[in-house]
Amino acid sequence: MAYRIVEVELSETLAPFTLGPHQDGFALLARWKGRLAGFYMAGATPGSSISTEELAALCVKRFGRRALALEVETALLERWSRGREMTPPSLTIAICTKDRAQRLARLLDSLKLVKETSRFLSTEILVVDNASVDSATRDAVAGFEGAQYVFEPRAGLDFARNAALRHATGDLLAFLDDDVVVDQHWLDGLFAAWAGCPDAGGFTGLVLPYRLDTAAQIQFELRGGFGRGFEPKRFHATSADNPLHPVGAGIVGAGCNMAFDRSLLVSLGGFDEALDTGAPLPGGGDLDIFYRVLRSGRTIAYEPRYAVYHEHRETMPQLRRQYWSWGLGFMAFLTKSRRDDPALKNKQDAILRWWLLDKFGDLAAAGCRFRLQELGFLMAELWGGLVGMAGEYDRSLKRVQKIRGRTS
Amino acid sequence: MIASSWDIRHVELSGERPEVAANPRPLFVVFWWRALPLGIRTYLPEQLPLDSGELAALTAELAATQLAARAPQFGGPARATIDGRPLIAVPLGAIAEDRGLLNQLDRLADDSAISVTELSVIVCTRDRPDALERCLASLVAQENPPGQIIVVDNSKGRTAEAVTAQVAGVEYVHEPRPGLSVARNAGIRASRGALIAFTDDDVEVASSWTAEIARALSSAGVEAVTGLVLPARLATPAQCFFQFRMGGLGSECVPIIFDGRFFAETCPMGAQVWRIGAGANMAFRRSLFDRIGLFDERLGAGASGCSEDSELWYRLLAGGGACLYEPRACVTHHHREEWDALRRQVRAYMKGHVSALFVQAARFRHYGNIRRAFRQLPGYFVRTAFRAVRDGGGIPRLQILWDEFVGWLCGLHYAIRPRWHDRSGSPSRIGPVGASTSESRP
Repeated sequence: MAYRIVEVELSETLAPFTLGPHQDGFALLARWKGRLAGFYMAGATPGSSISTEELAALCVKRFGRRALALEVETALLERWSRGREMTPPSLTIAICTKDRAQRLARLLDSLKLVKETSRFLSTEILVVDNASVDSATRDAVAGFEGAQYVFEPRAGLDFARNAALRHATGDLLAFLDDDVVVDQHWLDGLFAAWAGCPDAGGFTGLVLPYRLDTAAQIQFELRGGFGRGFEPKRFHATSADNPLHPVGAGIVGAGCNMAFDRSLLVSLGGFDEALDTGAPLPGGGDLDIFYRVLRSGRTIAYEPRYAVYHEHRETMPQLRRQYWSWGLGFMAFLTKSRRDDPALKNKQDAILRWWLLDKFGDLAAAGCRFRLQELGFLMAELWGGLVGMAGEYDRSLKRVQKIRGRTS
Repeated sequence: MIASSWDIRHVELSGERPEVAANPRPLFVVFWWRALPLGIRTYLPEQLPLDSGELAALTAELAATQLAARAPQFGGPARATIDGRPLIAVPLGAIAEDRGLLNQLDRLADDSAISVTELSVIVCTRDRPDALERCLASLVAQENPPGQIIVVDNSKGRTAEAVTAQVAGVEYVHEPRPGLSVARNAGIRASRGALIAFTDDDVEVASSWTAEIARALSSAGVEAVTGLVLPARLATPAQCFFQFRMGGLGSECVPIIFDGRFFAETCPMGAQVWRIGAGANMAFRRSLFDRIGLFDERLGAGASGCSEDSELWYRLLAGGGACLYEPRACVTHHHREEWDALRRQVRAYMKGHVSALFVQAARFRHYGNIRRAFRQLPGYFVRTAFRAVRDGGGIPRLQILWDEFVGWLCGLHYAIRPRWHDRSGSPSRIGPVGASTSESRP
């Protein structure tokens, strides 16, 4: 099972395309004058062709209104009187990586292009090598001009993120995971997000699939993926539309593509090293930092132009493990915030009830329809959640203490 | 849990420096592009003020939706799909060719300059003289005064007579037989205009309301018009519950055509005519009543509870007609302040709705109405109960749900009462002016 990803520029003539013999669907990634406008997936017969007319009809239906909104926004910004010009901030781009030199090189290549046109005061790239077993990572960075290399011997993503925080000098600190590639407008997107909301404490961006070559990658994307939509959003300490906000911090974005006001991170004490620890607890660190930024009273701005392409899990067992880690990470995060932030006890209790009822409801629905694959995903997530509830955060604290003891 | 008291603010977006400033209390914002309502958003104090990026994205989104739904080159006005949502698909070529999108929006937002001497406005009232006084004040302050304003007093004791007499140019009709449909029909009989607009005594109309109604009714093929109903105040838990949890009286800000296709799409589960609008803000061509009859006097407040308006739209759409929802014909409605009053209203709504389903099923043999009464509504009760438990804070929701359930039972009972079906429902035509049973005073 594979879907062909086709990029279409809506303002130009649309070109027909043909699927390969092993491609049983396609995904349209639409732009309007270069700006990302939408993403749409559809199944199709292998080897079939999508004519210009079919493609045009699809684009009008799926992306037309969004394209019009982008055009109107351009006109609006011309009409509105501009505020005072602000000095742009400096930026550090931090990439945390472990034993994935090839993917790191791919990401660095994609950054090379966007960095040249950076509008930030200065732009530095910092690669944090998180206890890689060999020197391949160091070599990959050495082959890339202008990237700084830092070695963090304590394994764990949030150890690496905190190392980046210690070494970074930029006003803003943008984090990228090593399994992404940035979009051509990624840096412009982050700049636009900052220009639109200079007081924000954090920024998150769109995460699109890098490829859809396996059933697991397609399933992940069809079940929502990391997608947070093509409209900019703002997140605050409360929300009129969502009574459980900000405890359900997952809606804010994803850890593979996020940026923060560095001084805010420092004042918050950095990332929680007992979350996102790699194999035993591979999640929750991003939820925790989003939650703490929002609770500090600062805004998080979501900007679709600030986009990356993420290499999704290839196989079904890996994907089930990803859902397991979501449940586990969410519950570890919830355990922590119940302990540290009792002021929101009502919301934390409510989201726990909501999560369990929602998952059991989905499980019942999938069971009734004999959707075994869906059942597998849900059970993995639920099982992760139950393990998370059963003291995983405390176990992780102990493990992290041991790691700290070993290296100090 | 939703805040139980909101400030309401109107924000103009067509200027050079729009802003949504901070507010110490939760804020219900109506965005406007001059005379065009663009959209409604709600904000808690922590979400304000809006930064420039957020305001630009929001304005672009709202303005684009408005353009897509109104500008001819983008295919507007939108037609209703299932659930009453507008179907908006924008041809890409048209965007690229257009250079002056905002100027076009400015033109679309121009005021209506149409004559409204052919318009009769009917206000039915019962024992609410204070509310009526406010309503009449807004009607006589219209930029384009209507040809005729009629107050139909549906009270036994002529409680509206004194208030009406104070306002110059308003005609008084006393209709002692109880029932909103009876009162509305009495108003139609007393009216002279070719266009007939209805509003309620707990409503204040915007100053351009009559002109916008007349303009909407002048569109080709449109015999009925409904409009936007905004909340006048959101100061009590009952008002906020009604607005946010029950959807109020609608909040859609783009024009939508409800036509035969919408009717056919939704008919298998009971055509969703209640999505077309509210009786507090509706208008018709007089010829329509000659063709499909008047309001069904078994339905409506004072009889079954409500839905006399939607049943008339049902007849219109079933006969191939169309109703235009035009949000710039805008009124504000005073929601019930007291929780108990809201509960009574909810019961009446559901009772009236179920009764109307049976009337429609009997008249047209459309069994989708029966499926809605016995399958969709019970399913809705179960789902709502589950969500109230899952989402927490569900006691008020469950209370209202109980009232809806009781209203549903009452509706079933009302509809199976002996001889109910044989009663003459809707008078078939208006008849000569002045030949009604009610007494008129010019």
